[in-house]
Amino acid sequence: MAATTESVKADAAEAPLLNKRNLIFAVALYCVFYAWVRWYEGVYGWSAGMDSFAPEFETYWMNFLYIEFVLEVSTAGILWGYLWKTRDRKVMSITPREELRRHFTHWTWLVCYGVAIYFGASYFTEQDGTWHQTIVRDTDFTPSHVIEFYLSYPVYIITGGAAFLYAKTRLPTYQQGNSIQYMVATVGPFMILPNVGLNEWGHTFWFMEELFVAPLHYGFVFFGWSALGVLGVLNIEVAALAKLLKKDLA
Amino acid sequence: MKLIKDKVAKLSFVALLITVTAAMFYAPAASAHGEKSQAAFMRMRTIHWYDLNWSKDAVPVNDTMTVTGKFHVFAGWPETVAKPEVSFLNIGIPGPVFIRAGSWIGGQLVPRSVSLELGETYEFKVLLKARRPGDWHVHSMLNVQDGGPIIGPGKWVTITGSMSQFTNPITTLTGQTIDLEHWNIGNIYFWHAFWYAIGLAYIGYWVKSPVFVPRLIAMDAGKADSLISATDKKVGLGFAIATLLIVAATMQSTNEQYPITTPLQAGLLRGIKSIEMPARTVAVKVDSATYRVPGRAMQMTLTITNNGDSSVRLGEFMTASVRFLDPAVHEDDTGYPDDLLAEEGLTVSDNSPIAPGQTRTVDVTASDAAWEVYRLADLIYDPDSRFAGLLFFTDESGNRQMVTVDAPLIPSFI
Amino acid sequence: MSASQSAVRSRAEAVKVSRTFDWLICFTLFFVILGGYHVHFMLVAGDWDFWSDWKDRRLWVTVLPIMGITFPAAVQAVLWWRYRIAFGATLCVLGLLFGEWVNRYFNFWGWTYFPINFVFPSQLIPGAIVLDVVLLLSNSMQLTAVVGGLGFGLLFYPGNWPMMAPLHLPVEYNGMMMTLADLSGYHYVRTGMPEYIRMVEKGTLRTFGKDVAPVSAFFSGFVSIIVYFVWHFFGRWFGNTAFTKGS
Repeated sequence: MAATTESVKADAAEAPLLNKRNLIFAVALYCVFYAWVRWYEGVYGWSAGMDSFAPEFETYWMNFLYIEFVLEVSTAGILWGYLWKTRDRKVMSITPREELRRHFTHWTWLVCYGVAIYFGASYFTEQDGTWHQTIVRDTDFTPSHVIEFYLSYPVYIITGGAAFLYAKTRLPTYQQGNSIQYMVATVGPFMILPNVGLNEWGHTFWFMEELFVAPLHYGFVFFGWSALGVLGVLNIEVAALAKLLKKDLA
Repeated sequence: MKLIKDKVAKLSFVALLITVTAAMFYAPAASAHGEKSQAAFMRMRTIHWYDLNWSKDAVPVNDTMTVTGKFHVFAGWPETVAKPEVSFLNIGIPGPVFIRAGSWIGGQLVPRSVSLELGETYEFKVLLKARRPGDWHVHSMLNVQDGGPIIGPGKWVTITGSMSQFTNPITTLTGQTIDLEHWNIGNIYFWHAFWYAIGLAYIGYWVKSPVFVPRLIAMDAGKADSLISATDKKVGLGFAIATLLIVAATMQSTNEQYPITTPLQAGLLRGIKSIEMPARTVAVKVDSATYRVPGRAMQMTLTITNNGDSSVRLGEFMTASVRFLDPAVHEDDTGYPDDLLAEEGLTVSDNSPIAPGQTRTVDVTASDAAWEVYRLADLIYDPDSRFAGLLFFTDESGNRQMVTVDAPLIPSFI
Repeated sequence: MSASQSAVRSRAEAVKVSRTFDWLICFTLFFVILGGYHVHFMLVAGDWDFWSDWKDRRLWVTVLPIMGITFPAAVQAVLWWRYRIAFGATLCVLGLLFGEWVNRYFNFWGWTYFPINFVFPSQLIPGAIVLDVVLLLSNSMQLTAVVGGLGFGLLFYPGNWPMMAPLHLPVEYNGMMMTLADLSGYHYVRTGMPEYIRMVEKGTLRTFGKDVAPVSAFFSGFVSIIVYFVWHFFGRWFGNTAFTKGS
């Protein structure tokens, strides 16, 4: 029994520092998923997404919305719950090599966060301009919003939350408290979602037309700035890595 | 095993490309334009579109069609909507499926925003050139600054052919004939690729050496100066000088290539000519109006006075683009969209001709499922419970006369 | 954790690890900054950047550099001052341009079918390279703000003019004169963006004659200097490594 445990430990020790397969798979997952979403928008945006009072709108868009709500809440619950539940209670006593390995895994999460933020804040947000300047919006839940606000934003919120939790539960670097900039980088973009309330309030009562630079949208801008919190995370991470590698890089 | 994996990966990639391409070249039937979402009182009391005509139901790519008609700017314009002092004659289509080859109000080209007067009626025409195949709902439409889009009736039009065949030839005042659909695209791609490549080359120079960890170690060791070499500075300077020279040279060569350019054109068009309507000879007073929710019917008690010299009959009530007709007086032969036309939707308690000089009080009922379908019945939930619309009277010679009505509406729930 | 243990087995592995992190970090920075920068840029300057009939001599030239210098200043404040990395501004604008192009191509063209010559983005690359190089050569935040910031504003218009000039050819259309860019805006129907929303050319700059774009560029450069200062300090704040008090 003891021998088996030892051998497992040895195997674990030999596991690659960076699991490239996971990294590539994760990035590919976001890309393939969003390519499918874009296909869905392309087809059902035009055929079923322009009249929110039509039955097909309910079928293709409102049902999409309800399904994504359920999936997002469950994914967040399961993923965040899993990360917390499986936290390392002896995180301060891991070996430097294990710590390095975890930094790689942490950066795999951060790479995913980058991809998720890109799709949410860049791709689908500017796409919203495309759609709303082209058609006449007649609901808060336009095809563009169903994807942008209620899919791509939750996806990066879930990813950011997972990255934060991973760091918090598995890396010694983050045991001294909560990194302010890490929270800014994850909670700030999260706040874009509640800010949708302001956006819809304004569009419902006053603006059916789309002027992207309207002050109504500045809440998104303010919270978008918080993505720069990644600079603080960068500084913390590089300092931690430097500590681990300094001796050997000299 | 690896072979199979590669194959699967390859096929997945091909499938992905096919789906994205399929979505891009999908020729759909685009549903309506969301006019139903607008508050009913807004649709009833702002712009009334009438005498509309869509010249074609089907049109091949590159061919043209027109949408023509009149719109009346309602005098009882609601306070909650900004007045149409800055308005734009738009066309309600799902993006550039047609190009707007021309649009006129009162005979004047209106590529820019215009100022309209309350209570006036205007003639309009929009010339469309087919671009993207599909079945499209084509609406008349006017945007009002701080008010929003005011969408008129929509009719299905089919575009046939292929978008790749679409051309948009324009002759400039400098004598060149260009295709606006493709003009300058190669030039745009070139310059963006060019500058992007320079940007990447600049970053590439720096990332060819270690970037983060060793630099931080050096910084913390107080060796910041060692991180930037004389070569680095020379290379950086080279990039900056090259950038400045390229910008200056390309600006110069562009100006030589295009010596004549003009600024964007902007500014409100005023003095738009309205139609000089003949003096109204029929006066209408709304004594009462109720909307019966279970019956999908609006009932009005009207006192009508004929001050003209020919007897008249009430043939049509139109509100928010829905037309209620009394077929005994007026039948529509213009091909007006079916869903907006209640051909037998108007009932008048006594619709015998009203003789010149005669005054008569009648009960008028406008009933049709359109009240529900177009969410006009939601008027009773609006913050300003008034209705409005146009009444059309027909005289002995078949001439139609338009009279506006605007009054409070009392809902009836039983 | 034992301090005597090493995380890597050799110097070669340490170098490899450090290099791998370089790529992971560059990738992440590129996309996270792109996300924040793009959402900022599209909502404070986007309309002038979406459509060629918004790219005028007044607000397009004025607004874009002012709003564009923000993230470059913040990112430089960390990458240069903490690592002596001299490509912060260029990384930002390349990210922004990447995000814009993907959307313009797949959505403005691929979803709503506007021709690319009507919806291509503006580019900020020459100004960003100059901003980076001024910082590299001077190692001074003040000089970078003043010289680089001014350059960032001044270089924007000439950097984009080779793409815009062909769209400013005049055309007579049904009795009115307009540019090809105006005509694109008229032809390619934007149902949700009526003409009056355009904020172009409706100023009194023309009082001083026809060459108003340099005035706009100069003003833009001036404000860019100030914005650079402010955002440099934003960047420093975002780069801090503070933690809340541990539990």
